[in-house]
Amino acid sequence: MTALTVPARPEHHAGLRPVPWRRMAWVTWRQHRAALGGVAAFLGAFAVYLWLSGLQMHHAEAAYCHPASSLSCAINFTGRYGETAIIVSIALQAVPALIGAFAGAPVLARELETGTFRYAWTQGIGRLRWTVGELVPLAVAVTAVAGTFTVLIGWYNQPWVAAGYVTPFSARVFDLLGFAFAAWTLAAFAIGVLAGMLIRRAVPAIAATLAAYAALAFATALWLREHYITPLVTHDPNLPGSAWIISHWYTGHDGKPLSQAAISQILRADHAATNKIGPNTFQTSVNVVGYLTQHGYTFWVSYQPGSRFWPFQWIEGGWLLALSVLLIAATVWLVRRRAA
Amino acid sequence: MTMNIIETSGLGKRYGSTWALRECTLAIPAGHVAALVGPNGAGKTTLLNLAVGLADPSAGGVTVLGDKPAGSPAALDGIAFVAQDTPLYKNLSAADMLHLTRNLNRRFDQRYAESRLGELGIPLNRKAGKLSGGQQAQLALTLALGRRPRLLVLDEPVAMLDPVARHDFMATVLTAAADDGVSVLLSSHVLAELERVADYLILLSLGRVQVAGEVDGLLACHRLLTGPAAEADRYTERPVVHARRGQAQAHLLVRAGADDPVPPGWETHPVDLEELVMAYLREPGAAALPGPARGRALPPETGEPSEVTR
Amino acid sequence: MYSDQHLRVSDAEREAVCARLAEHFAAGRLDQAEFDDRVGRAMSAKTRADLRGLFADLPETGAPAVPELPRGGGGTPGDGPRGPGSPIEFRLDAASGVPTYLQLVHQVEHALRLGYLTLGDQLPKVRDVVASLAINPNTVLKAYKELETKGLTAGRPGQGTFIQATLGQVALPELAGLRKSLLGWLGTADAAGLDQDGIVALFTSALRDFYKRRGGTAERRGAAGGGTEDVA
Repeated sequence: MTALTVPARPEHHAGLRPVPWRRMAWVTWRQHRAALGGVAAFLGAFAVYLWLSGLQMHHAEAAYCHPASSLSCAINFTGRYGETAIIVSIALQAVPALIGAFAGAPVLARELETGTFRYAWTQGIGRLRWTVGELVPLAVAVTAVAGTFTVLIGWYNQPWVAAGYVTPFSARVFDLLGFAFAAWTLAAFAIGVLAGMLIRRAVPAIAATLAAYAALAFATALWLREHYITPLVTHDPNLPGSAWIISHWYTGHDGKPLSQAAISQILRADHAATNKIGPNTFQTSVNVVGYLTQHGYTFWVSYQPGSRFWPFQWIEGGWLLALSVLLIAATVWLVRRRAA
Repeated sequence: MTMNIIETSGLGKRYGSTWALRECTLAIPAGHVAALVGPNGAGKTTLLNLAVGLADPSAGGVTVLGDKPAGSPAALDGIAFVAQDTPLYKNLSAADMLHLTRNLNRRFDQRYAESRLGELGIPLNRKAGKLSGGQQAQLALTLALGRRPRLLVLDEPVAMLDPVARHDFMATVLTAAADDGVSVLLSSHVLAELERVADYLILLSLGRVQVAGEVDGLLACHRLLTGPAAEADRYTERPVVHARRGQAQAHLLVRAGADDPVPPGWETHPVDLEELVMAYLREPGAAALPGPARGRALPPETGEPSEVTR
Repeated sequence: MYSDQHLRVSDAEREAVCARLAEHFAAGRLDQAEFDDRVGRAMSAKTRADLRGLFADLPETGAPAVPELPRGGGGTPGDGPRGPGSPIEFRLDAASGVPTYLQLVHQVEHALRLGYLTLGDQLPKVRDVVASLAINPNTVLKAYKELETKGLTAGRPGQGTFIQATLGQVALPELAGLRKSLLGWLGTADAAGLDQDGIVALFTSALRDFYKRRGGTAERRGAAGGGTEDVA
């Protein structure tokens, strides 16, 4: 059968050389510059706010909180800005989740949703290089931006730590400081990327990312974190403010721990004691502790000393990094599996 | 030029427990415009996805451009794919799409692509999402042809286009075939245009290949016999693909050559491509597979339903 | 469309005009003397204006009296080639049922008969036909190969396909005479009660028999091929 003659064409070089990475970098940048710009704008606005608000707080702390326990400190610093600081901390907790969800989830989900993967994965570069070239630069960018932001957060929190209002270990700020903030952002991004690949639609993937991140963050703060290093145990009720108190309990003459009910009973049995301390006082107040120890009960407290802050940061940063790498690798593996 | 642009052997793809494609054995020679035809759900998109590496086979294998595995870097380099609904990044301009394609491939003819878009009147700085359907299709095609592929694969490329846009699109495709010797594989619903456009035909039905071969060869070995309806049932000289009966008259589409003897009292006509495709589509059990890889001519004695060549 | 009135005319165009005049003569619009006079004026015409003047009182019969230069005319959408192109432009009749390549072959032969194409003229480039008609390049190649087999064209590598022979030309008066006698026969057949399809069937089978007796070559069978099979 007649076939067309093929005019001379440049033949392929023996052994195709791969498409260079920097070209893929342009692709990623062009495709996601809107998202990256959005993240930058969002953080930028937040940063301006933190800067302005932080200046006020620094000024107030310097002026009124030396000594830290004075009444003027309580009025002009803690009382005035305390609520704001709490709200800001809570808002900051959401930042890694938002960045990760909105930067990570749409990367693959949009391709799958709009069908553009049929274009992207049939180009000469190949789907593997394309995926790695999309995910890695974004992951690095997101982490770097978050890391820079942490410095600002640390500066913002500094007066509160100096005034003894909050310890760096506390759940409210631990994951905003040191490595943790950047690591949590990276983890959120990785969760987002995998969710996007699995769910294949941008909006549900974002929702799933936020949910999964929230679950992980709560589980870590409420349970996992305190077990990184075995807590120290002591009888001393006067621990420095920098320590992170995990739990306390009393043991009776037999060495067995006492339940709350049993302790309440003991306290009420002695009217004198009750009158002194009141029925609802926290049991670690010195009165209670003093009373019970006088009566032969032993006070125990488990805690993490303040010096362990950085080791904990390393541990948390480390396992979050490992998790992120695992999730991104899983995503790349899924892409490679050619499920069309 | 005897290289096979696409070769499959026993190719199959399963989604869950359903086989979208099975026992598909093809050898499509290069230098042709091959049309992939079949009803919805026949497996056309599945076959195309397997050929361009968007899906992995569940059974059998597929090689392209001679001997390269589908989806391998060499295959991706030489094949350009335009999927259904011509996917483009809607918020990127046409110029950005060119830049993107240039960056994602080893080889891209920027000048050709720009001049082509200029000829078509597609402004380079307009966002792809704001172009008309025909312009989007032409843009996607320009991106594909700019890669200077050896094989162009199109999945229902003209389904959503108006007649003028459709004509211009196919003119571009066929001109590329004429100028550069690009082989083309396209899936289509539009039977009426097949004869003008295709010189190789693959007919899929229910996930299996029903017909595969050069159009000239297929038309040469089918005839339409018209004769008395009463005698139609007794006709056994040649395999009957499809029969249509009136009260007194019947038409039989048979597998026979132009020189084959015609029963007395019967007329013989050549068959046109649309008629041939419709007849096979109506008879899912029939098949016409000349075993192209083996180079055998279609044996006229093959009864129906025909076996699938291995 | 008539801005080219001042252009000089070629022999081919004069011949085509004479053929046209012969049709009008056979139809009875011109008598012998007028016909001879107009043919003489056609043969000595210098410009297109001269030729057009010959048809001032004659009705249009479809094809233009003077062949148009290819300017995207000829009925196809999409521009033809600019500059030195082929004298003819192909068109497709999608509904005719005739295979595409045969349509192209017939159009070349028809153009040869009417004088649009003469010896040495170039056929449209394959690429240009594909671009304007959106048809398979192999189809065009097949048509050109068929024309080559018939001896009408020859391909020059790197240049294109050129006409190297014309269809047997019958002298103009003879053509007119044949046409007149044919019309007479048609009148007889019509009077005998044959309708149009019956006439075509009768003519086709007689044509076939005639060439079979003459020992027709593949050429002739090809020319009679497309339409005759459908009517038996």
